[in-house]
Amino acid sequence: MTLQIQRSFDREKGAWNITPKGDVDISTASMLRSALDEAYRENKADIILHFDDLNYMDSTGLGVIIGAYGRMKENGNNITLKNPRDNIRKLLRITNLDRLLCPELCE
Amino acid sequence: MADMMKFSVPGKPQYVSTVRMAISCLANSLGFDVEAIEDIKIAVSEACTNVVCHGTTGNGEYEVCCELREDRLVISVVDKAGGYDPETYREPCLECPKEGGLGLYIIKALMDEVEIVTEMGIGTRIEMVKYTK
Repeated sequence: MTLQIQRSFDREKGAWNITPKGDVDISTASMLRSALDEAYRENKADIILHFDDLNYMDSTGLGVIIGAYGRMKENGNNITLKNPRDNIRKLLRITNLDRLLCPELCE
Repeated sequence: MADMMKFSVPGKPQYVSTVRMAISCLANSLGFDVEAIEDIKIAVSEACTNVVCHGTTGNGEYEVCCELREDRLVISVVDKAGGYDPETYREPCLECPKEGGLGLYIIKALMDEVEIVTEMGIGTRIEMVKYTK
């Protein structure tokens, strides 16, 4: 299983677009952590995680996102998930993290 | 008598996805629907991740045993890493999310039955059941 992560900064919106493709689990979660940390270190701004092509994620990925969320909140920045697949939506729902990370699912 | 499949897995992160794929194929062949297969994949990964993070020393191996019954799949993840004190386990507070500690909570939420047997000085066995319905 592999994970590829693309990131770009949207100057108009003043936010990072980060797109992971593949699987986030115990062997790849550190890649996601590095991508989030590096982006935020480079430019302290909101992060939008585009999950359209993320096939799988478990608590290891959730942990990374919660950690980043906590650090970013201290500076008033936000992290938002977009278009998670059904398996990830379910994970967000049962952990109550949808309200925090993916408000579009609760509307 | 139910068919059994056993995997002996090195306690390294890179093999968790291999176990996940194998169990996914097995669940598919038993006729589980897509949602149930995803539940099983996540639950098994969480159990294996727990072992890799907390339950093995060095390259110690652990076992994943699958019991294929007519109406259910029973998956046991068994390590021999000395067990833990269940009194120390706390359900995560969903109002104040933290980076770790969600694994067992997720397993219990996704599987129909979960039993955890841990023996100090021996090891831990997580048995998870999903019914085909």
